[in-house]
Amino acid sequence: MNDTPVEEMSFEQAMAELEQVVQKLENGQVALEESIQLYERGDALRKRCEAKLQAAEEKVAAITTDAAGNPTGTKAFDAQ
Amino acid sequence: MTTALFTHSDCLGHETPEGHSERADRLRAIWKTLEDPAFEALDRREAPLAERSELRRVHPEAHVAAIEAAIPAEGHVSLDADTHVMSGSLTAALRGVGAVVSAVDAVMAGEVSNAFCAIRPPGHHAEKATPMGFCLFGNVSIAAKRALDHHGLERVAIIDFDVHHGNGTQDLLWDEARVLFCSTHQMPLYPGTGEPRETGAHGNIINAPLPPMADGAAFRKIMEERILPALDDFKPELVLISAGFDAHRDDPLAQLNFDVEDFVWVTEKLCDIADRHAGGRVVSTLEGGYDLEALAASTAAHVKVLMERGA
Repeated sequence: MNDTPVEEMSFEQAMAELEQVVQKLENGQVALEESIQLYERGDALRKRCEAKLQAAEEKVAAITTDAAGNPTGTKAFDAQ
Repeated sequence: MTTALFTHSDCLGHETPEGHSERADRLRAIWKTLEDPAFEALDRREAPLAERSELRRVHPEAHVAAIEAAIPAEGHVSLDADTHVMSGSLTAALRGVGAVVSAVDAVMAGEVSNAFCAIRPPGHHAEKATPMGFCLFGNVSIAAKRALDHHGLERVAIIDFDVHHGNGTQDLLWDEARVLFCSTHQMPLYPGTGEPRETGAHGNIINAPLPPMADGAAFRKIMEERILPALDDFKPELVLISAGFDAHRDDPLAQLNFDVEDFVWVTEKLCDIADRHAGGRVVSTLEGGYDLEALAASTAAHVKVLMERGA
């Protein structure tokens, strides 16, 4: 398991570990007593991935374009 | 007639390491709640030690010998990350199998209407030659084979509402066309099996997984849509229940949100099936359930229904 707290992970870190968690859960290589902790870890990683994705989507949405549709920069997120 | 309770103090003798979820206190909690005067009418019977020939109904002799050989004189030996044996484990497991076999015999003989086996270690994860997930022998699968091969029944149903998939029962009875095995369980969760596409060699297995956080309403819906109609079509001559109570909302090992009332509901529905097709014959056997309070309350409610229906 990655030592970085989930809330500080990059999207790539969280996604990589989430894939490992899902693989472990799916192939049944996890102890019964650990299964639930692993699921909870997976859930936290999923939420982190979703948060990072949403932030990225919001950045994309904030890209401003000129009349011809060419990007001209970004506008402050909270200005929307 | 009445309801039989099969259990034995030797089942406490399978001591698990400190902090282990599948612990002797589970059985003590159940016994304590069943001491209530409300359960006075139970026909309480001591589980005998099972003959080894009973184990061979579903396990190769090598599996039994390997477990026997693993038992240490002192301390614990781990068979996998979850499953441990110590000096009292084999005796406890043989009492467990003895309980289910005797319960089937008593119900088939018409001595009692139905029965509950309060035993440990549980059994539904034990595969043909692999002890796992706290389980050594496939208790309920052995009960099914006993009913088929000793009593000559042609159709036996097993319903497993433990929160974990009964991979062992599925493995032991995969190609047994005389058994309909139906399981509800949380997915994803240990042991990772139990997809709807796993249907057995003869379409004799129904897996109905539930997502994490599913509640009793979701459980009742899937039972009513998939499992109860299949049971009516199958017309079992005996209904066996793998009664795990770890789908209760307070259980620490899973995330389903059943309440005691949901276990009451399913017990009534399964008794209805047994009344319609099996002369009311039901043998229920303890599997999981790891929050002592929830386990005791759920078991008590389950046994209460068996008593009401068996009276």
